[in-house]
Amino acid sequence: MKKVYLHPLPIRIWHWINAIGFVILILTGAQIRFVDSMRLMSFETAVDIHSWLGFILLANYFIWLLYYLFTGKLFKIYIPPFWKPIEFIKRSIRQAKYYGYGIMVGDKNPHHPTPESKFNPMQQISYLMIMALLIPIQIITGLILWDPQLFASLAKLFGGIQIVSLIHTGLWIFFSAFIIVHFYLATLGHTPMAHIKAMFTGYEEEHEEH
Amino acid sequence: MRAIGIVGLVIMCFLISYLVPLKEAVSNDTKSCLRCHGISTLQKKLDSKEAISLFIDGKKFEKSVHGAMDCSSCHPGINLKNHPKPRKITGKKDYIKEFSPNCLNCHPKNALMKPAVHGEIVKKGEIYCSQCHNSHYMPSMKEWKNKVSFTEYCMSCHQFDISKTLPSKEKISLKVNEQEIKKSVHGKFQCLVCHDDFSKAKHPVYNFKDKKQYRTEMNKICTKCHTDKELQKNPAHYALSKTATCIECHGYHGVKPAKVAKAMPENQYCLSCHSRAISKKMKNGETLSVQVKESDILNSAHKKLKCTECHKEFSTTQHPIRAFESISDYRAKAKDICNNCHQDAVKRFDKSIHAEALKKGNQQSPECLKCHDYHKVGFITKDKKASSDLCIKCHGDSGKAFKDSVHQQAIDQGKQNAPSCASCHNSHDVLPTNIAKLGDSCAKCHKDVKTSHNKWLWNPPVRLTSFVDAHFNSASCASCHTKVEKAILLTLVDRAKGKPIKEDEVAKALNIDAKAIKGKIDQNGDGKVQEQELWQFMSSMKSKTNANLAGRIDVLNPNDAHKIEPKNKSIKDCAYCHNPNASFKTKLEINKEGDKAVKFEVDSKAVNSAYAIPNIKDFYVLGLTKIKILDILFFIALLGGIAFPIGHITLRILTAPIRRKKREGK
Repeated sequence: MKKVYLHPLPIRIWHWINAIGFVILILTGAQIRFVDSMRLMSFETAVDIHSWLGFILLANYFIWLLYYLFTGKLFKIYIPPFWKPIEFIKRSIRQAKYYGYGIMVGDKNPHHPTPESKFNPMQQISYLMIMALLIPIQIITGLILWDPQLFASLAKLFGGIQIVSLIHTGLWIFFSAFIIVHFYLATLGHTPMAHIKAMFTGYEEEHEEH
Repeated sequence: MRAIGIVGLVIMCFLISYLVPLKEAVSNDTKSCLRCHGISTLQKKLDSKEAISLFIDGKKFEKSVHGAMDCSSCHPGINLKNHPKPRKITGKKDYIKEFSPNCLNCHPKNALMKPAVHGEIVKKGEIYCSQCHNSHYMPSMKEWKNKVSFTEYCMSCHQFDISKTLPSKEKISLKVNEQEIKKSVHGKFQCLVCHDDFSKAKHPVYNFKDKKQYRTEMNKICTKCHTDKELQKNPAHYALSKTATCIECHGYHGVKPAKVAKAMPENQYCLSCHSRAISKKMKNGETLSVQVKESDILNSAHKKLKCTECHKEFSTTQHPIRAFESISDYRAKAKDICNNCHQDAVKRFDKSIHAEALKKGNQQSPECLKCHDYHKVGFITKDKKASSDLCIKCHGDSGKAFKDSVHQQAIDQGKQNAPSCASCHNSHDVLPTNIAKLGDSCAKCHKDVKTSHNKWLWNPPVRLTSFVDAHFNSASCASCHTKVEKAILLTLVDRAKGKPIKEDEVAKALNIDAKAIKGKIDQNGDGKVQEQELWQFMSSMKSKTNANLAGRIDVLNPNDAHKIEPKNKSIKDCAYCHNPNASFKTKLEINKEGDKAVKFEVDSKAVNSAYAIPNIKDFYVLGLTKIKILDILFFIALLGGIAFPIGHITLRILTAPIRRKKREGK
């Protein structure tokens, strides 16, 4: 059994704050939207929690960003090798095949994570999208909705508050589904708890070839 | 003492009476009376403190028509032997009244009633025989008539307080003050110069319906000398003479020379005609009173002004005759007079909804005079109720709605800072409510309104007033401070210009008549704009303009905005609006130049439609206007998110034997 140090402490802290934050934001978001049919808490409480958490996750985003910027790993981990596109596509297809077929027939996971290459090609492309695009957009649209007057000019840039709200709600829908799938995929390590444990300890266990 | 005095006087009379020479013509009876009553100083003091002379001039009495008659003929039951004890007489008039029936002994009433006018006087009993005919020295009527002047003849009756009651129950005094005539321009005239239908032998009786007819008929007397041609020399006076009678300005008998008036103070000069009930005819036949009450001016804010300071084209020498189409034409032009001094107010008025309505021919809409009156122009009052009542005269519904408000309570409690109508709507530049920025009016008094709302209306973690602004910009104050039905108002705007697209611009863009817009929007004509109809209209507008819909929350019925509740009753529950179940109506609003906006009821589902995203770009109320299809997408995504792991696990369970085999195969 080989242990690989995949998740440094700042990233683990960031991840779990983000994870709890996401769940609560999704729930309070739902409470705000379904005030007529959901009774988790009052509208005012839901808005208060949603606003507080929004700012906490905004700060949290910078933990992630600054850590990877200063360690210089951002590029290595998150940017797919666009200079070798064919190979990347081939690897992506292989990874998809593994999840859709190989995993069923007992094939090995084609990707072996290392601190320099944490993510398989599918993870890489999705996390890049999420971290570099979707979360910033969700933060910005969230800020606009938090104070539409203060960020009126920003809202105009988006094409009006309606579109801002549409984007924020759309991403809420996406993240809701994502969180479920993400949690499920986290159980697909060599044991169901392997990846989850790693997210606490930092060390990913890997079965060595016999 | 009094008794001794009287007895002494009687004895004295007797002694002296023998010295008084008496004519033989008078009867012995009379002679014996005159022994006392011939003393010129004999008089009696009455209860009314008047002195009545008891002296009878024997010579004059002898010449009178009754000269040969015994005293007892008229004073029955009195002679020397039987002289009544001093009688109680309260006053001269009472005595005359008491004594006059004695005349009827010889002059039977039916004979006195024969000359109609004399009969009328006798019947009325306002004056008594001796007042005209004297008591002891009455001449022969025939001789007197021949001898007296015309004026003297007329005045013999008309000097008294006689009057005539007309069928209209109005009373005309027939008393004539001879002195007044003497001082007048007609001072040398005998009565008959004017009243030429009368003579010593002829006294026609006229039956006028009322004073007005009487005055009009009297005009004929004046115009005999003062002919139409002569009057035309002064056009103002001539115009006046067509609407008012001569008497109204010049009086009855004390006619003063017109030239005297010019030396008067200017206001008095004008008022010498305008204080009377004179009027002016408009081209359309309407009659406008041009009477001015001096008291109105003196009690007004303009009390120190001269007439000509407002009525600039008039003076003591100039009186142009103007022609107006109608009273409303006249009133509209009166604004120019106000504008001489109150330019600022007039300028602001010209922008108002009232001015616009007037331009469009709404006769009910006020100009300066409707609120400020002609000459009663009031001072600016601190009485909030009085100033509001002026508006309520026309805007009754608003007054009723305001009655229940916290502001009315403040007025009733006499609070200095209580608002009147003008506090919010302005006094002269009253604008249509959709462009009047009435929220700003609230902030004029409620100055700390942002910070006070910010105490509870903020989003953590930072307390920003901009969050209050976000709400103020999209909901009227009345939305939360009244308990009436609310609505989402969607105003058609040009998003690029940030200005409303007005009705005429819509008509122009769609190349239709303004009246056809309603049909263009509500195509099925059911009185409600269905979702599809709204988006169709928007799409045709968008093909020509940068049309979009701006939104705000407000009261459904604008008048309800007057019903502001006390602070503790206002709505603080965010979920009142931020709720998909809030039963707000939706209205489409198209602005009109200087007028109230045109409103159409819209199917409320429209704001929750995906089509709202491109058509209502800048208005979004959490919960209330949420796009419903996204809720469905959320549940599909949630189901998808759950279905993926379930499917994958299922496949993994189903394929477990394959993996086992593979492992075992190894």
